[in-house]
Amino acid sequence: MKKRHFFVLFLGLALVLVAKTWLVKVVKTNVLSQPDFLSEKLSSLKKGDRVTIMEEKGDWCLVQSVSGVKGYVHQSALLESKSSLTGIIPGQKGASDNEVALAAKGFNEENEKKIKGNREFNFADLEWVMNRTFSPTDLKKFVNEGKLK
Amino acid sequence: MKRAILFPLLISVVCALALPINLGKALSGLKKVGETIRPISEEEEYFIGRAVAANILSKYPLWKKEAMTAYVNLAGNTMVLHSKRPEVYSGYHFAILDTDEINALSAPSGIIFLTRGLVQQTENEDELAAVIAHEICHIVAKDPLKAIKSDRMKSLGAFTAAEMTSGSSQVVKLFNNTVMDISGTLLEKGYSRKQEKEADLAAIRLMRTSGYNPEALLSMLQKLQSRETKKSKAFSAHPPAKDRCEYVRREVGKTGCSTSPARVDRYRIARQLSGI
Repeated sequence: MKKRHFFVLFLGLALVLVAKTWLVKVVKTNVLSQPDFLSEKLSSLKKGDRVTIMEEKGDWCLVQSVSGVKGYVHQSALLESKSSLTGIIPGQKGASDNEVALAAKGFNEENEKKIKGNREFNFADLEWVMNRTFSPTDLKKFVNEGKLK
Repeated sequence: MKRAILFPLLISVVCALALPINLGKALSGLKKVGETIRPISEEEEYFIGRAVAANILSKYPLWKKEAMTAYVNLAGNTMVLHSKRPEVYSGYHFAILDTDEINALSAPSGIIFLTRGLVQQTENEDELAAVIAHEICHIVAKDPLKAIKSDRMKSLGAFTAAEMTSGSSQVVKLFNNTVMDISGTLLEKGYSRKQEKEADLAAIRLMRTSGYNPEALLSMLQKLQSRETKKSKAFSAHPPAKDRCEYVRREVGKTGCSTSPARVDRYRIARQLSGI
């Protein structure tokens, strides 16, 4: 009986090793019902959220979030988690450990604050550019009406 | 008996998976001790991109026409969805610079500028999309970041984490110089011919997968070619339009694509609303 428990425990450990735990590396991304940006949004994730990759379909990953939502996220939004034990599988997609380790350092908002006010930079107009937004519904309408894909 | 075999077998499989890779990691760790060049993270690219864009906006006024700006954002983001890099740190943003010059520029992390002069040269949505597709492909290839001088990257690797996060004056100077490397390439030096050709060919593929007619890239280049002969500054940072026309024509071939009436209408309306 004890052997059986140990066996189950070991199998669980092996599964944890094989499971792929990744971090969201962009400010915000959506969990979608299909591997298609225009499919139904199930949930959204923010930078630093953890997901487990259950399956890969081309450039898309079927993920499960910490809250249990399952859906598709594009692999370009994900970064391999440094703390996971998942680097052991050859051929995994994503950035290197180096990139993960340095993700929060380097050029950042502090550097930007230091150059703000300099005449060589017009951040006021940049904010106008960054604040132009559209809804997923607008984009879907634009694609459909224009007979685009 | 079966369990007795299965158990050691499982251990062997897991160890076989883990050991070679961990050994590889250990060796790469040793290599990192003397390593000074390191990759730029997604977040860093975003802050470099913002500064490059802000620098461009200090040289060119922004054309704040809501209708045309919304239009280029929708056309651009439609193609972004089909690109190899649809997710960047804070999304792709498109805007128009208020100048007669004919040009398009892409700052790191997906901040893309078209000039009013270029928008005015287009005759339909597909031509507008062709120019945008070319710029998106520079972002996908991370071409703007390749303009950073290698000694800057070495300096970047030499700073400690504390120096980087505190925004010391040396780091700010390095940040400033990094931004100017990219701006200089975007506004004056230009990318290499190889980078431009790759962006053109990738743009053709991107247009096809998005449902746009890639022949529009050829028609835009032909317009630029005619302007070049008039000694204009049209796309001065690019290889001659004549060279580009040749390989684009070969790649595009005969598409037989046609545009939808809705695309014709909305393009006309966006121009009208923007006073073009």
